[in-house]
Amino acid sequence: MPSTIVEGRNVNDNRTLTPDFCIIGSGAGGGVCALKLVEAGFDVLVLEEGPNIPEVDGPAPGQKRKMLNEREVDMYKLLYQEGATRLTKDGGVKVLQGRCLGGGTAVNWSACLPPRKETLDEWQKRGLPFTRQNLEPYLREVVNYLPIVRNDKYNTSARKFMLGCAKHDIQGENLPNNTNDCRECGSCGVGCPYDRKMSGFVKWLPDAVQLGATIYTDTKVDRLAGSGDLIREVHAHFIDGKTRPTNRKLVVRPTKGVIMAAGAIGTPSILMRSDLDLDGRVGKFTHIHPVTITIGKYPESTFPAYGVPDNMWTSKFGAGPTGYLIETGSFYPVLSASATLQHGDELHRIMRDYYPNGAISYAHHTTGFDPKEKYGTVELDDNGDPELDYKIPKANVKPMQESLVMMTRIHLAAGATSVYVMRNPPLEIKNDTQFKEIRKIDFTQPQRSTIFTVHVMGGCQMNKDDKRRCVNNDFTFTGKKNLWVADGSIFPTALGANPQVTIYSLALWAAREICERHQRPFNFNHQQGGDLPWPGY
Amino acid sequence: MAGILSSVLNAAAHPKERSEVTATTFDQLNRKTALILFAVAEAVLGEGFLLKAPRFIETVDDYLNYQRPAQREQFLLALLLAETTFGLTIGGTFRHFSHLSLADRRKILEKLRSSSQSLRRNIYSAFVNVSASTYYASDLTWPELNYKGVSVDHPEILQQQPPIPWRPDDPRPIED
Repeated sequence: MPSTIVEGRNVNDNRTLTPDFCIIGSGAGGGVCALKLVEAGFDVLVLEEGPNIPEVDGPAPGQKRKMLNEREVDMYKLLYQEGATRLTKDGGVKVLQGRCLGGGTAVNWSACLPPRKETLDEWQKRGLPFTRQNLEPYLREVVNYLPIVRNDKYNTSARKFMLGCAKHDIQGENLPNNTNDCRECGSCGVGCPYDRKMSGFVKWLPDAVQLGATIYTDTKVDRLAGSGDLIREVHAHFIDGKTRPTNRKLVVRPTKGVIMAAGAIGTPSILMRSDLDLDGRVGKFTHIHPVTITIGKYPESTFPAYGVPDNMWTSKFGAGPTGYLIETGSFYPVLSASATLQHGDELHRIMRDYYPNGAISYAHHTTGFDPKEKYGTVELDDNGDPELDYKIPKANVKPMQESLVMMTRIHLAAGATSVYVMRNPPLEIKNDTQFKEIRKIDFTQPQRSTIFTVHVMGGCQMNKDDKRRCVNNDFTFTGKKNLWVADGSIFPTALGANPQVTIYSLALWAAREICERHQRPFNFNHQQGGDLPWPGY
Repeated sequence: MAGILSSVLNAAAHPKERSEVTATTFDQLNRKTALILFAVAEAVLGEGFLLKAPRFIETVDDYLNYQRPAQREQFLLALLLAETTFGLTIGGTFRHFSHLSLADRRKILEKLRSSSQSLRRNIYSAFVNVSASTYYASDLTWPELNYKGVSVDHPEILQQQPPIPWRPDDPRPIED
């Protein structure tokens, strides 16, 4: 097959392809597997549901840049699942996931953390083989290849956070980023237009294509087909620029196997459409990091959209099965407005008060550690599309209240005159006597507050327990010899940290397993360099 | 089932005509749902909102393409339900949502917001989220937020060697 990127929207015929491997999804897991398998000499095909991100003429003479214009109204529909309007089944959680070449790596805020040691310890109890020690060469490969670096140019939100933390004797820490000479435009969340964020479409995928991989974008996988313990075909159809079917089909007959890397909602949904649900285990025990958000209002203009978005955090509250990490970020008009459960003059007042003078902090909450809790379930709707049924676990309610209290304390200590908490109706905190209002928020009831998540995990988990296991420790799908899973869906719990680096590392491990199975070389090429950029974590 | 209900409600809906709604071709909306959307958005955003977000209806219609079809159907159904069932009896006559005054439409929004039923709160959230996010996507609204726009509109910074940060009137100190 000629190596290239084929845009499915422009394909005018039905096609049949016969690569060695078909990788479904081009995000963190898919990109890694594509590069490592093509390095090993395999003929690799990657299928991506979302669009390609081609280069266009930039505004400066002779300048080229990715087709990313930073405008929320254009980018959300281009880069995110369901135009960034994806919700859980009961509408209670906004689920932001990438849907484009590079998947989540294209839209994340560049934050790079390794897996929590505490999480890996829990995973070992559930039979998974990973430790920080045996993951080290994989982490090192990721850190040096991308690279992951310390960027200590802090935006206003981070500066306010550091100031408030210092007054509460909390250690604010640098959060490493996968950026290179960052321009600080602040637009990581709508796609870096300068290729300074080392996303999948900047690093893994172009390198894979250069070595011979082929990528089809705008290609939605319907189902896998096979017999016995082998998958023999992947059935897909092409979609247009507005996600509508073009009536052109693709059949892939991989000679060596299929690698699922469509994410924790996409991978289970494809398996379920393929009648590979393992007696109902697939799609179960899906986890998120529920995110609570505060916006502090400060006396001066803060220009909250600009600067490095996500390079400041604290791990002080991260321990335990329901711990949380506080990070800082950027925010933009549409994202802000979409979170504001308000209407009329008050809507505009909140936007005018809190946007120009706002600084943001938010907390990712760990979930998934209680073996008796159901957590989330990926289901198929009447059209065969996935939806996530998820209720905030009761054990997380108090930590979510407390993260809001803590972030509010930090803002007030940093000089905020009030702090906006996204409750319904909106809550504006000016002093600690009002904290009792935060502690009344019932996160289990949809639309009593605004809850986001940008990390979905599990649903096709690796586990020694036969009643839960979907994926074996060699990353093969249970009962299928030539089907592997290499994305965040294999996590048996939520990670408790931003998952991109962990998915990269586990996908490298999966690629090594596949190469060993087929007696092909798997090489670490980027082991040089100093210490990993997470001292003490 | 939802499709049948939607057809019935669509037939029953007779939203108030508004000359401001000039769009004539739609991907997902139709004239009726566009008029109801206008009435909802006016309640959320205030009179004259199209002056600052002139492509509001077209933008929402475009975004509906990207939604999961079942979720899109629910949103369109919510518009039709709002029009046909969320009215008020005024002077002994039941008046449908789009025919109510701005103040009365906002009373209904307030009831939806504080409802004990999560379905009603979800409808409130959908109406507010769609209206507010689409409105503030328009660059005509950005000056009131002191939002200076995006860096790719400023090619002058691209002429300089990196790392040259994007700092539009930005008071943040430039580090060494």
